[in-house]
Amino acid sequence: MFKKILFSTTGTSLCDAAARVAFDMANRYGAKLFIIHIFGIPDRSYSQAAIDIKTGEKVDLNSDHFQKVQEEIKQTYSEQIKHNKECEFEILAGIPGTEILRTARKKDIDLIIMGARHSKKEKKSPQQKLIIGNTLQTVARSARCPVLIIGRTAASFWGGISNILFGTDFSKASDSAFLFAYKLARTLKCTLNFFHVINISEDSSGNVMDQNEIDDRIRDARAKIREKYLSRMEEFEDYEIDVWEGIPYVEIVKYSREKFADLIIMAHHSKKIDLEEANIGTTMEQIALRSNCPVISINHTDKI
Amino acid sequence: MTENKLCNRIPVNTKEELNGLLQDKSGKQYYEEMDNLEVDAKALWRTIQTTCKSRIRTWLNICAHCGMCADSCLFYLANDNDPEQVPSYKIQSTLGEIVKKKGKVDTTFMKRAMDTAWGKCTCCNRCGQYCPFGIDMGVMMSFLRGVLFSQGFVPWEMKIGSGMHRIFRAQMDVTTEDWVDTCEWMEEESEDEWPGLKIPIDKKNADIIYTINAREAKHYPEDIAEAAILFSIAGEDWTVPSEGWEETSIAMFAGDWEGASMQVESVYEAIDRIKPKRMVVTECGHAYRATVIEGPYWTGQKNGKTPVETLHYVEWVAEALRSGKLKIDPLKKIKEPVTYHDSCNYIRNGGLSDCGREIMSYIAEDFREMKPNRDHNFCCGGGGGLNGIGRYRKQRNTALKVKRDQILATGAKLVITPCHNCWDAIRDLEEVYKIGIRWSFLKPLLISMVEVPEHLKPKDE
Repeated sequence: MFKKILFSTTGTSLCDAAARVAFDMANRYGAKLFIIHIFGIPDRSYSQAAIDIKTGEKVDLNSDHFQKVQEEIKQTYSEQIKHNKECEFEILAGIPGTEILRTARKKDIDLIIMGARHSKKEKKSPQQKLIIGNTLQTVARSARCPVLIIGRTAASFWGGISNILFGTDFSKASDSAFLFAYKLARTLKCTLNFFHVINISEDSSGNVMDQNEIDDRIRDARAKIREKYLSRMEEFEDYEIDVWEGIPYVEIVKYSREKFADLIIMAHHSKKIDLEEANIGTTMEQIALRSNCPVISINHTDKI
Repeated sequence: MTENKLCNRIPVNTKEELNGLLQDKSGKQYYEEMDNLEVDAKALWRTIQTTCKSRIRTWLNICAHCGMCADSCLFYLANDNDPEQVPSYKIQSTLGEIVKKKGKVDTTFMKRAMDTAWGKCTCCNRCGQYCPFGIDMGVMMSFLRGVLFSQGFVPWEMKIGSGMHRIFRAQMDVTTEDWVDTCEWMEEESEDEWPGLKIPIDKKNADIIYTINAREAKHYPEDIAEAAILFSIAGEDWTVPSEGWEETSIAMFAGDWEGASMQVESVYEAIDRIKPKRMVVTECGHAYRATVIEGPYWTGQKNGKTPVETLHYVEWVAEALRSGKLKIDPLKKIKEPVTYHDSCNYIRNGGLSDCGREIMSYIAEDFREMKPNRDHNFCCGGGGGLNGIGRYRKQRNTALKVKRDQILATGAKLVITPCHNCWDAIRDLEEVYKIGIRWSFLKPLLISMVEVPEHLKPKDE
């Protein structure tokens, strides 16, 4: 299913959980693993320096430095490399989201693996603010292949999958996510949980939905799941359908816990959002940060 | 004298030479070698005799040292009226001395001249407007840079930049394949939100040939997608060339006259090949100066013009708004106070100040002019290559103070900067002085407020 996996790492403990999953999956599926690390954001215009992402310090963009960073990254994953000698490292300078997408396209990657974390209110330079906050956004929105996001250590114990949660908002992007979830569930012979949340957050005028309306909507959503997805499945019986009301990311995290989901699959189709708001994040990001299992975001059908 | 490996009089023409320079850490070895770089006084005098023509000689002679240019210079103002920052002094004490001494100057002198030509002047040409004799010290400083380059006294990044142009015909190592691939990638990436969006490459006889700044291909490919979106919304018949797409010229900043001509020729060749009706240049200031204002002279165009009519991006936007090709949704206009930074290279040196005002009249409800503005606006503080030179970072940061105070006085938190260099400088200004501003090119702002025709809207949902 996955022949080429790209693991994008910051090289810090923030990506340890994602690293565990990346190496484990590569070994499990016999996939070729590409590990990329983008260490610096280009400095002003044509100057031959970059701003180091971790320290905010200026670093030279010569091959000595690339070499040094590569050694550091190899050192970080020295244990894992022993069991995966085929993996390839690539050290880059550039804007992380752009470089991850560029590399994934160039190498025809089937799955991108990334870590996610709560954005702390730390001091950042304007450049860092512009770029780091929305790397996940950029990649999840534009990647042609599924993007596996590991937010918590608890989510990194990728073992056998017996329960897949497919969260849908009935968008076109969710169709891609469905196709992928269905294919995966068939291949791995596991339960597919269809789940939709009626968003009952107050609207801007402060209106709260009454329960009759919620019940109606739940009924409609169940019907829609049957019509939109079940009709496209062939001889596949191992599924469940649930529709709850609430705040979408909260309910999805709760539901995944209740169902012992091993994997959440959903679309991340938000349009480009204002960089100022990039830190707030979307439903998908909130789930990635909170859930006890990995989240796969998928927007395109190219790699299904 | 030991032979200098990196710092010498020979321009960079091969990848090996370029890599040698790139291996150096922040130019450490390069500048050490510069201490041993001897001046070839004969060659220097020959250069002066053959290239320093009557205009510059007259300017050098008639300067009355009146000091009227002092207050016009952002370096003079930002450095507490330091007399050594008076433009006439800066040029008389460098180029003036070389001419006076018939080229018999030493290494120490040349290094000081370099530090003046790149570290104390952005060639913004503001001073020329205030000289009672009409002496343009910015033009002379550009000339001095050429003289210094011919002797190898040029900042490390400038030498690299000039080499990039000579090897890649771009200011960065972006090859033709990289560029074409980036266009295809951006097409793919935009197809969800902008169905049918195309970035046509080498389309013969298109109305518009669009040329860019290499950093868009290298680091900000979304800028290319944004240009494509706006051209499509406006219904333009446009194309990009597979070769000759790079409009910028670090070679010009470096004083590498030969390299600068080579770069511009590649663009003109693309025009010859594709035969477009007009050319549009991206949101970049010095690119416009190099290819549109100076380039025709470097390459000996008899009428002093580009092979086809050329528009800076702000001219195209103003025209598209005026003609209704781009329509702004009145509800989406910018409501907060907003100011507009006039880039020296196409405002003062290109006469396009009206375009900015016209655009603002369509997109902003509370437009606030900086003072002074238009042709009298101050340089961002990072022009002329200064942004990219590590050796003069401190000088650059000091120079930013003038722009900082201009912006603060407007009360605007959003600064529109349709120029890559200015965009960088104003971003850095925020980084250094933290005055709480945002900065933007025109393209993303326009996309957020333009009315989108039905056929370009996504079909689903």
